[in-house]
Amino acid sequence: MSSLTTAGPAKAKGQGVRRSDLLPYLGSKLVAALVSFMVTLVIGFVIFSLMPADPVRTLTRGRPTSEAQLVQVRLQLGLDDPIWQRFLTFVGNTLKGELGYSWQFQQSVSSLVLDRLGPTLLLMGTAAALSIALGLWLGIRSGWRHGSLFDRIASSSSLMLWSVPTFWLGMILLIAFSVGIGPIPSLLPAGGMSDPSLPQEGWAHIVDVAKHLVLPCLTMVLVVFAQYVTVMRSSIIDEMGSPYLLTARAKGLTDDAVRRRHAVPNALLPSVTMIFMHLGILVSGAITVESVYSWPGLGYLTYEALRIPDLPLLQGTFIVFSASVIIMNLLADVVYRFLDPRVRAQ
Amino acid sequence: MGTSNSRRGRSALAACALSGTLLAGVTLPAGTATATASSSGSAAAASAPSGQGETTLRVKMSGSGVDTLNPFLAFFDGAYDVFAGVYPTLNSLDEQGSPGPYLAESWTQSDDKLTWTFTLRDGLKWSDGTPITAEDAAWTLNLIMTDAVAGTANGSLVSNFESVTAPDATTLVIKTKEPQANVTYVSVPRSGIPIVPKHIWESQAKNLKDYKNDTFPLVGYGPWTLTDYKPEQYAKFDANKDFVLGKPGFGHMVQQSFKSVDAAVAALRSGQLDYINNVNPTQFKALQADKNLLTIQEVGNGWTGLEINYNARTRTGKKIGTGHPALGDPVVRHAIALATDRKTLVAKVRDGLAVPGAGYLPPAWPQWTWKPAPGEETPFDLDQANKILDDAGYTKGGDGVRVDPKSGKPLELRLGIHADDTDDAGISNYLKGWLETVGIKLKIQTLSMSALNSDLAKGDWDLLMDGWTTGPDPTFLLGIQTCAALPKDDGTAGNTDSFFCDEKYDELFKKQLTTFDQAERAKIVGEMQSILYKADVNQMHFNHNMLDVARTDTVTGIVTGQPDAQGMYPAQSYSFWGYLKATPAAAEATAAKEESGGGSALWIGGAVLLLVLVGGGIALKRRSSADDRE
Amino acid sequence: MSALDTPAGLDVPRHHAFSRFCRAFAKRPAGLAGLGLLVAFGVLALAAPLFIGDDQLNVIKVDGPQLSPPVDGYPLGTDQAGRSVLLLVIWGARESLSIGLIATALTVVLGSTVGLLAGHYQGWIGKILMHVTDWFIALPSLPLAISLSAVLGQGAASITIAIAVTSWTATARLVRAQTLSVEARPFIERAKVLGAGNTQIMIRHVLPNVMPLILVSSTLTVASAILSEATLTFLGLGDPTSVTWGSMLQAAFLGGAVTAGAWWYLMPPGIAILIVVLGFTLVGRAVEHVLNPRMVGR
Repeated sequence: MSSLTTAGPAKAKGQGVRRSDLLPYLGSKLVAALVSFMVTLVIGFVIFSLMPADPVRTLTRGRPTSEAQLVQVRLQLGLDDPIWQRFLTFVGNTLKGELGYSWQFQQSVSSLVLDRLGPTLLLMGTAAALSIALGLWLGIRSGWRHGSLFDRIASSSSLMLWSVPTFWLGMILLIAFSVGIGPIPSLLPAGGMSDPSLPQEGWAHIVDVAKHLVLPCLTMVLVVFAQYVTVMRSSIIDEMGSPYLLTARAKGLTDDAVRRRHAVPNALLPSVTMIFMHLGILVSGAITVESVYSWPGLGYLTYEALRIPDLPLLQGTFIVFSASVIIMNLLADVVYRFLDPRVRAQ
Repeated sequence: MGTSNSRRGRSALAACALSGTLLAGVTLPAGTATATASSSGSAAAASAPSGQGETTLRVKMSGSGVDTLNPFLAFFDGAYDVFAGVYPTLNSLDEQGSPGPYLAESWTQSDDKLTWTFTLRDGLKWSDGTPITAEDAAWTLNLIMTDAVAGTANGSLVSNFESVTAPDATTLVIKTKEPQANVTYVSVPRSGIPIVPKHIWESQAKNLKDYKNDTFPLVGYGPWTLTDYKPEQYAKFDANKDFVLGKPGFGHMVQQSFKSVDAAVAALRSGQLDYINNVNPTQFKALQADKNLLTIQEVGNGWTGLEINYNARTRTGKKIGTGHPALGDPVVRHAIALATDRKTLVAKVRDGLAVPGAGYLPPAWPQWTWKPAPGEETPFDLDQANKILDDAGYTKGGDGVRVDPKSGKPLELRLGIHADDTDDAGISNYLKGWLETVGIKLKIQTLSMSALNSDLAKGDWDLLMDGWTTGPDPTFLLGIQTCAALPKDDGTAGNTDSFFCDEKYDELFKKQLTTFDQAERAKIVGEMQSILYKADVNQMHFNHNMLDVARTDTVTGIVTGQPDAQGMYPAQSYSFWGYLKATPAAAEATAAKEESGGGSALWIGGAVLLLVLVGGGIALKRRSSADDRE
Repeated sequence: MSALDTPAGLDVPRHHAFSRFCRAFAKRPAGLAGLGLLVAFGVLALAAPLFIGDDQLNVIKVDGPQLSPPVDGYPLGTDQAGRSVLLLVIWGARESLSIGLIATALTVVLGSTVGLLAGHYQGWIGKILMHVTDWFIALPSLPLAISLSAVLGQGAASITIAIAVTSWTATARLVRAQTLSVEARPFIERAKVLGAGNTQIMIRHVLPNVMPLILVSSTLTVASAILSEATLTFLGLGDPTSVTWGSMLQAAFLGGAVTAGAWWYLMPPGIAILIVVLGFTLVGRAVEHVLNPRMVGR
């Protein structure tokens, strides 16, 4: 759900012209990102230390357990260490790339996260690429001819889709395409990332994964592209009043050329920044979609962690999600710097 | 999403330390009868098609999934499902829950009942060709007995073992500290200890905690060989054609993980899956209409009910927690029992697919079932509940809530329910309504599993929804109601469920442990259940039937046993036999896929609505933008 | 929202400005339509106790068929306990809307306070507050909300808090920017000279001028708060015994409504969410346009 931070399709925050040199600029951004990350660690630790929980009883209820076993499990999970020691271990380990020890899976959170990273990147990457392409294209079209029928359809449908809960859309698509519509039984698989009864390599596998990817990806694209449409449309409309477009037209350029060579490059600037900032948010959109479609990624892992709740795992995924948002924001700043002609010119 | 599967992941499975199912000498597995999918009419054509080596049995992975493939650390039943297929055990279990031969061909007991001698089969080989010897079994059991990490999951099963030795390749000698009749339950498929190959694991013993055991194919022995596993995705198996207890009917097996049972059901309907163990009643009813599917009900092996915190205290009798004092009064507890309509709960919450509860042990194991004598059952009687509360001096306040005459506190009780359990949410709504009419106000608290267990241990609760499943040996489940299960003064240890502690009960508990006559022991266990029933501390609501679905056009024989007069099959929780005995069905009725009328209606409805809304949006937008341009 | 740097009509008397605002708003059909939808839902939610009694919601009193498609007397079918889905959706509006509104109120109070303070005290206080805001912006909202409500325990209260904690930053930035621009105006200088204290300036002079902006942003916040409520409840962090749109969807999903093809149970809560979110978004955007005439065609 991208909806948690941005209230409605909003415009990118306007950033003024930067006059500083490139290296100090990047340096300061990097430092700020690092500070953000450290703060995230602290917040993460505080949140998860507050929680009273007895994971041992929850975990061991599947098997008959003796008292000695309960003590052993507590020891293994490091539950009896004093809080300051846990904090130091936590920060130290996180910086080393170790995210703790999952209660329910009884293995390191880092290895679990690494296992799930691939599927999430695949889903997110595809969804992001498609929604950016679709969003920008629709945004440019409808911004350039705003008020046209095309614009009205594009804007109102994106507004509509933005208002839909992601998981609900997922369920509806699941019924429609996976349970079956009318005489056509089932077009697409209902969950997972591949059909394990098929070979796990070669073309057959790629096609199989692609089939599994369609529905989760479609769900994410449908909900996310609306934001890009709105942003791109606004930027184009902003640019339309600019005098340089009048000049370009006066030179005798065709409407098409004015749009492509002048309006779009300038309007892209705020959109690109926005897109990068949204990429981090997109990560969290993965949680609901992956839960509905059993896609074996980080979001699904979060959902799994939530069930117990498996706090080290929840904490680990929280840190990974935060880190990805921070990195995307950093990239947004860098990209902005490189794209902004006013800054480049300095 | 969190389903009713493997309810809270708790089950006191068959084998427990100290038990007394008497097994004189060798017991052969009772012929595990195979039920063919008779409803489909294609049972006659159930012969395996050509190219049988290429057939694949596709099942849904057990609801809780696999936590780890390391059998020394795993707790989840999904993991034990896998282990049952790929690691051998000393004994097998038949469908009635009696131990039979597996690695062990026969076994004998010494006269003092302290020494068990198992004779192992000769000539079995691990999947890498190394012979399986008694030394493998001795090493595995010894490691669990001596190494704390290795004992993480199954330490309690061997806690009464004095020594385990392997004098020669086919002889295993187990000496116990006290007489223990259920040694043959210690290493059984799924609920017991899997035996691992010593030559593979010896080098990992130091590093057991971090060993993921994910080199494929996994070296093991069983009906299957694990060839691939992706966490949260699937486990893939090849059949072991030389398996000693019979050749699997399929060439391969895939267990696929589904978070949502609906997704699994969709896969089953579209033919991507052959079998699902445990769907919910709504799904079950929806699937019964499908001609390609066999839907069966198993006798329930667990209960769902209400725990009452009547007197939370430690072993030394120190009071702990914040339980409502009025719950110490048997009248209040009995009023709650009188105000619970078990039949309605069965009908509404489980859609009729359950048995109203009474006795503490579930109907799956008929040898232990107990029912209150006629006239002793607690009926559903709101008037009676009101009357006994009135008589005991609990007068209603102005808001209709009764007040405890002793403490002066109103009868406002907290009811803790599991956040991920739809049954709990359903039941709590009914309880709230009924208890309100007898002047008891419920405040429903939804808690995560950990939070609920943490509160339970501290005694910080009034009422809790609870549920357990059990295997054929009831010792563990009965044991959690003994005084020994109360926590220590420092709050640690103890796996009590309701802080129940009763002298007579404890006496009977010890007595049944040493009673070797089955009928005699059943009588004692019955008396224990009667004590529990009358105490009204653990109120059984229902024993829900397990609901399974299989495709009839792809698989037969996956359901073992014969249905009883009500059409209920025996408990199938030991998937070991089902997966082994399943055979491919003739692909005859491949066509005629069921179409889902509801699904299409939903789809059309949605499309129409979307169209209307988009259209409306456009219309509005047109006018608004005309406005903008002025 | 950040484009709103020139709110119209702030220096004219307020009641005058309000009637002008109403007239301008009335010219925006999309906004009016959104308002209409919201008013309709609001009235239904408020009036619900008049025509929905305990008899229709209490599971021990209802006697409808279980999980039945629309039949006579149950225009949208029934749920597993035999309650009318139509009545549940109407009743659910109460809880869903109130969680959305309360979470928004919390968000607005939190965000405006931080924004106002950061804008007024431009020294180290302001700097620290802006840093804190930036850190919170960097936190991914859904994982943070999930973690928070997991820690706070299940239920409406913790969901409300989780939503507020994860969404106040936008308001804070907006209010700070606006505070800065208001404080640069001559009349603040005048007030200072006349001896007005910090609190007086913030409450009496800055706040009234920032208010319209806060209202706009809060309209859009309600929309996302309602979506977040549904999402968090669906993920199992809500109270499964209360009736909200999110909990209905969760119950339907977990209860196997997808397999049973129970579209009458699955569609209505989702559509209700869609309509209300759309309503708030339309109103919010219309208000934004009215206050900022520069935003033509957006």
